[in-house]
Amino acid sequence: MHTLAVEHLLLLILLALPFAGSAAAMLFPVNARNAEAWLAGIVALAAVLAAWTFYPEVARGEAVRLELAWLPMLGVNFTLRMDGFAWMFTLLVSGIGFLVVLYARYYMSPQDPVPRFFSFLLAFMGSMLGAVLSGNLIQIVFFWELTSLFSFLLIGYWHHNPAARDGARMALIITAAGGLCLFVGVVLLGRIVGSYDLDAVLAAGARIRAHELYLPALILVLLGALTKSAQFPFHVWLPHAMAAPTPVSAYLHSAAMVKLGVFLMARLWPALAGTEAWMWIVGGAGLISFVLGAYISIFQNDLKGLLAYSTISHLGIVTLLLGLNTPVAAVAAIFHMMNHATFKASLFMAAGVIDHETGTRDIRILNGLRRFMPITATLAIVAAAAMAGVPLLNGFLSKEMFFAEALQASGPAPLLDRSLPYVATVGAMFSVTYSLRFIIGVFFGPDPKGLPREPHEPPRWMRFPIEILVLACVVVGVLPGLTIGPMLAVAVHAVLGADTPTYSLAPWHGFTLPLAMSLLALAGGTVLYLLLRRHLARDTDTTPFLPPIDGRHIFDRMLATLSLRWARALERVLGTRRLQPQLRWLAVLAIAAGVWPLYRSGLGGNGAASGAGDYVLGIVWLVGALCALGAAWQAKFHRLAALMLAGGAGLATCVTFVWFSAPDLALTQLLVEIVTTVLLLLGLRWLPKRIPFEWTWAGARAALPRRLRDLAIAVSAGGGLAAVAYAMMTRPMPDTISRFFVERAQPEGGGTNVVNVILVDFRGFDTLGEITVLGAVAITVYALLRRFRPAPESVDLPQRRGQGGANPADALLVPGVIMRLVFPIIYVLAFYLLARGHNLPGGGFVAGLVLAVAVILQYMAGGTRWAEARIGIGPIRWIGTGLLLGAATGAGAWLFARPFLTSHVAHLELPIVGELHVPSALAFDVGVFVLVVGATGLVLIALAHQSIRSHRPPA
Amino acid sequence: MSVLREHLVVVPVVLPLATGALMLLFEERRHALKGAISVVSTLLLIAAAAALVRVVDAPATAVYRIGDWPAPFAIVLVADRLSALLVLLASVLGFAALLFSLARWHRAAPRFHALVQILLMGVNGAFLTGDLFNLFVFFEVLLAASYGLALHGAGAARVRTSLHYITVNLTASLIFLIGVSLLYGVTGTLNMADLGARINAVPEADRGLVQAGAAVLGIAFLVKAAMWPLGFWLPGVYSAASAPAAALFAILTKVGVYAVLRVWLLLFGGDEPAPAFGGWLLYGGCLTLLFGSVGMLASQDLQRIAAYSLVVSAGTLLAAVGVADAAVTAAALYYLVASTLGVGAFFLLGELIERARNPAADMLALTAEAFGIEEEAQPEEEVGVAIPATIALLGFVFACSALVIAGLPPLPGFIAKFALFAGLLAATPVPDSAWLLIALITLSGIAAVVALGRAGVRAFWMAPEGAVPRVRLIEFSAVGLLVLVCLTLTVAAGPVMRYVRDAAAALHDPRGYAREVLSVTP
Amino acid sequence: MNELIVALAIGMLTGCGTWLLLRPRTFQVVIGLSLLSYAVNLFIFVMGRLRSGAAPIVPAGPGADPAAYADPLPQALVLTAIVISFAMTALLLVVLLAARGLTGTDHVDGREPGE
Repeated sequence: MHTLAVEHLLLLILLALPFAGSAAAMLFPVNARNAEAWLAGIVALAAVLAAWTFYPEVARGEAVRLELAWLPMLGVNFTLRMDGFAWMFTLLVSGIGFLVVLYARYYMSPQDPVPRFFSFLLAFMGSMLGAVLSGNLIQIVFFWELTSLFSFLLIGYWHHNPAARDGARMALIITAAGGLCLFVGVVLLGRIVGSYDLDAVLAAGARIRAHELYLPALILVLLGALTKSAQFPFHVWLPHAMAAPTPVSAYLHSAAMVKLGVFLMARLWPALAGTEAWMWIVGGAGLISFVLGAYISIFQNDLKGLLAYSTISHLGIVTLLLGLNTPVAAVAAIFHMMNHATFKASLFMAAGVIDHETGTRDIRILNGLRRFMPITATLAIVAAAAMAGVPLLNGFLSKEMFFAEALQASGPAPLLDRSLPYVATVGAMFSVTYSLRFIIGVFFGPDPKGLPREPHEPPRWMRFPIEILVLACVVVGVLPGLTIGPMLAVAVHAVLGADTPTYSLAPWHGFTLPLAMSLLALAGGTVLYLLLRRHLARDTDTTPFLPPIDGRHIFDRMLATLSLRWARALERVLGTRRLQPQLRWLAVLAIAAGVWPLYRSGLGGNGAASGAGDYVLGIVWLVGALCALGAAWQAKFHRLAALMLAGGAGLATCVTFVWFSAPDLALTQLLVEIVTTVLLLLGLRWLPKRIPFEWTWAGARAALPRRLRDLAIAVSAGGGLAAVAYAMMTRPMPDTISRFFVERAQPEGGGTNVVNVILVDFRGFDTLGEITVLGAVAITVYALLRRFRPAPESVDLPQRRGQGGANPADALLVPGVIMRLVFPIIYVLAFYLLARGHNLPGGGFVAGLVLAVAVILQYMAGGTRWAEARIGIGPIRWIGTGLLLGAATGAGAWLFARPFLTSHVAHLELPIVGELHVPSALAFDVGVFVLVVGATGLVLIALAHQSIRSHRPPA
Repeated sequence: MSVLREHLVVVPVVLPLATGALMLLFEERRHALKGAISVVSTLLLIAAAAALVRVVDAPATAVYRIGDWPAPFAIVLVADRLSALLVLLASVLGFAALLFSLARWHRAAPRFHALVQILLMGVNGAFLTGDLFNLFVFFEVLLAASYGLALHGAGAARVRTSLHYITVNLTASLIFLIGVSLLYGVTGTLNMADLGARINAVPEADRGLVQAGAAVLGIAFLVKAAMWPLGFWLPGVYSAASAPAAALFAILTKVGVYAVLRVWLLLFGGDEPAPAFGGWLLYGGCLTLLFGSVGMLASQDLQRIAAYSLVVSAGTLLAAVGVADAAVTAAALYYLVASTLGVGAFFLLGELIERARNPAADMLALTAEAFGIEEEAQPEEEVGVAIPATIALLGFVFACSALVIAGLPPLPGFIAKFALFAGLLAATPVPDSAWLLIALITLSGIAAVVALGRAGVRAFWMAPEGAVPRVRLIEFSAVGLLVLVCLTLTVAAGPVMRYVRDAAAALHDPRGYAREVLSVTP
Repeated sequence: MNELIVALAIGMLTGCGTWLLLRPRTFQVVIGLSLLSYAVNLFIFVMGRLRSGAAPIVPAGPGADPAAYADPLPQALVLTAIVISFAMTALLLVVLLAARGLTGTDHVDGREPGE
């Protein structure tokens, strides 16, 4: 990172300070109200001062840029950019932030957990600064979403109150969704321009507006901006955000966050504005929000509700001005942003004071407060007057400019242009009316009755922020040129650059049409108020001429319907929790995947089978096929029969292996066959007895379609695989890697049984994995069976003869005596197979299985108790040892600086077996052997063990 | 140590295996000892993976010949940028899950540590191997371990869902075998690089069989990757599984995605990648994305939401891979890392939060919302409730992982999404499929905001008074670790993005890979 | 015609296996899977084509002629496959027993279709 100039460092600090403060604020104790306030206040003040120091540069029309590499390959760097407009907003955010902190110190009750509050507040300030100071679009979105997040957390600050929760959630969903749209729009802009850098984008306005992606980009960006600024039809969230503590409302929902939308529209004005689409969308949304907001605001009984709707309305003015596509209108928009921030923030604070000191915000209950809190009353009255656009106050100035612009609007629809002044006047009238209602309703009239608290002036310092803001309203209103003039000029120039228009800030332009409109609005508004007075006094929540809709209610219902009911229905449609559909999908897709390419390009090959077939094999498979069919038929009712039939099919497979010169396979298959069968036999007894199956037409017919479908799947699966297999068998073998194995097996692998050499040497890694699988499965089975509780009715089966109840001996009927004689032979056989495996059919796995079979035989002969008493092996240890042995043999090669599993051959003489080449692979094979014995033994014992357990009374 | 450095590539497989085996030699009840050993070994694993990343980023694809036999005949392990990154990811996730389990879960049933280590072995092996059949073996290893972990703690729900899980995956494994053997029968080799080379040489008559084999293989992979409609087993199993197991499983779907990416691009990436398959992947991914989002909205308990968010990320990844464009793939890889960590954290967190809640009240709140029953508005006593530190911390971490999942700033989900969009929009003219994908991803983001917002509000703002979950520091540190890594991904987005960019570039030009693998002669 | 016989055998096993796989009772599924694994093992095996009387047991000393023996690699693969499917069958069996014990039914969804 290059060395930073002072102003760059200052920029970083400006951004980092609030976040640091936020982190620090979290660490304070829960009741540290003062400490928190001091911290936050100092941070905000520091930000103000830091921002102020940039005045010289921005006054010169320069922009201070700081760029740090972040995502260079995506063309996005962390860029801070302080120009006039950003500077104005920085002052706004930090300045009002400071006042709000001061105010909040007195507003928040001592019981409130303030660390959370101030921490979020500061974090929000930081995000806000980040957004306005961003030098590239992606970064704006980045901080944009952060402001949504913190506004969510702040609205939900009093989360024990349902209104707060719902309001927070609504705000989050609407603004965050808008932000996601904005994000896409911004990426589109970046694609059009070829850069996300703000300067580049602003410079490329013409290209953007000409591009075919302009409209989608525009719409998406505006979705972001309008949701954020609570413009129609996305305004619903703002009134419900009023559940937040009043400082939050004053800061986020009048001065800062809701301004972010209009900020972005102004920021991108040079790039996006100037088209009909822009005028229709932005102007339209602004106009509707302006009038509708003002109208609804009149009929609010909650002070904060009134202010919320008036905020929507004033932001509507700003949006409308931006939508008018003329530079002067843009100037007016920027000017009004500032003015609105000042008077609206002060009004919110005043409302907060009233709420705080009287305990209610209901205009119908409040009355004549000017006698109890004269100073606050005066302040509020001035601020409200500014809001209403009374001359010599700042609101008046920007409203004048607005009227002037409304008079010379020139859009695509002349009718609209001509009617705009009238509409504007009407809207202004409404705002006069609600301002009047605020003042008269609260401060005048008879003494209030039934207030929760006895009203009185707030603490000195709680009023101070209001005083400052109201002072600003007045000063700006009287001497705009001297006070706000330079700042406005700086900001405007930063936005409009070259085509900055000439405009005059003065309270008095002589008798002009706008002035007449203002006066008309004032008069009309007063009249309207007098007319409505009686209606408003009445205890009603409805708004005349508008359907009595409650935005929150509708939103919640919509949300519930969309995101719960429909989602659930759709989940049921799209998904399933049953197994059979899943398997059906899998089978069908697999068949399709296999058949489709072949269907396209044919099976190929000559399809000529080699000579005549052996009819013996044919017969074997005739039986095998019948067995398979029988198994398929019987599996539901006669499990034992099905098991035996399946075994028959397995035997046919063994024969095939023998037939086509694969003795190892045949041997292994046979042994696996036996062990599996025994396992299943052991398991059988815990399955429920099948109710004898009574065949009915109805049942058959009901099941028919399902059966036919499954039959079709089964047939096509079988047919497909058979066809592919045949096609493969009847085509010449390609040059395979096996050549290598056959040639090297003996000389380098030290074994003549190529298959075994492959298993323990060439592809020993596979075997290592394979035995790991076996081990893992054995452990799982063991763990599962330890907790196993058989179903009740299977426990109290009629006790069969012989100890240990479910003794497989019953099933296989093997005389125990012969068994016990056989064991030694089996053991020897096992070790023999192990030893010779490298050269002749056999090997660790086979040997292990043989030994495992011996274990089973012991079970059959002696029964579980007898066997467990004698075997005395800790099977799990055997598994561990086997795995370690395998791994160790592999890693042993490291000592010779050879790769894992490299084999070394040693030669030695053994009495019985004769001369042996003993490669290290043999040790590996021993590992396999040990593991197989352990794993198989463990599974068998665990399973057979149940036959004892299940006869103890269930614990 | 020098030995280890020399055999670095195989260490991520052998170390967990040895550790797991060692675990089996100890008495059942010696939890402390076993815990200590596996923590140490997993830390070593992370170190090895990190070293591997540094090596392959040299850049030098590391090829390791098992048994000193030459490729393509015997098995080789190949570590390129992608594999190394994923191995590192897996080991970090594994470490977090392990830490978490030390609080209580590892006592819930025998041999937990052994299974975790074996799972890591399987995952790492699958990422590293360069041999198709060996890939199958490692799939089985990780599956076997995952069965054990899914059943960890038993209980009706776990057993029932695991039955589905096991059955579906057994079938998938058989399909896998058919695919592998078919490819072998036609090309006569199992080494992936060699396959890629030979496939271009197979006679025209055999092309169909090759494609059939590859497609069947693809189905098997897509089951692992939980693509719609092959992934219905996922939400049930993952939400029923114990928290650490579920967190570990967050990597499993990625193994499926990895297999698709690797095998597809190696076999068909050389010349024009089989376009049909890409299309299938893209639209299947979109459907998966949709299904996942819908599921997130429809679910109420955190574990299930997390499981569905995993489906969402799988869908996003598959669709992105289906686009078959290097820039998009790079973004997808970044997204893969971010979302895996985020969801993993979320699984762990979910369990911590659920501890404090009674499902009955939860249910009530939800139905109330579903049928628009207004909660009675409490009197506005405007004094906040002090949140105990635990809740505050949990809330913070929850917010973080939620932001990752929803793809909102400041967490890496946002950056991943940005990279994805930028990559998708780079083409001119932008294909409709790209628009579709962008729209779906944005919608799923909104859905995630809604679902997670709802869940968060219910978990933290509607929790009954004083219902503070008992959280052990070690559990919290596990979650914290994952979140920390996520934050680092944002700050260090530049380097990471550069890395995945190179990884993706290498993927889309498989010749380099093949050269590296096949040039190694005895 | 041996090719044809074996091919038909594979088809038969696959068909029956698939049919059973789609049945609702756990035991049917287990049997189905084992039939399927027979089929798949055979399939892998025949990828090395059919050779009679040519078991891959080479004489001691170098220079074994690959053409004279059956392809050993598929056999090795089948061996691995057999082992794995054996393990998985055992696991599935125990899981279904546990499921039966905990849910009281042997339906694959842990509840009778009616419920």
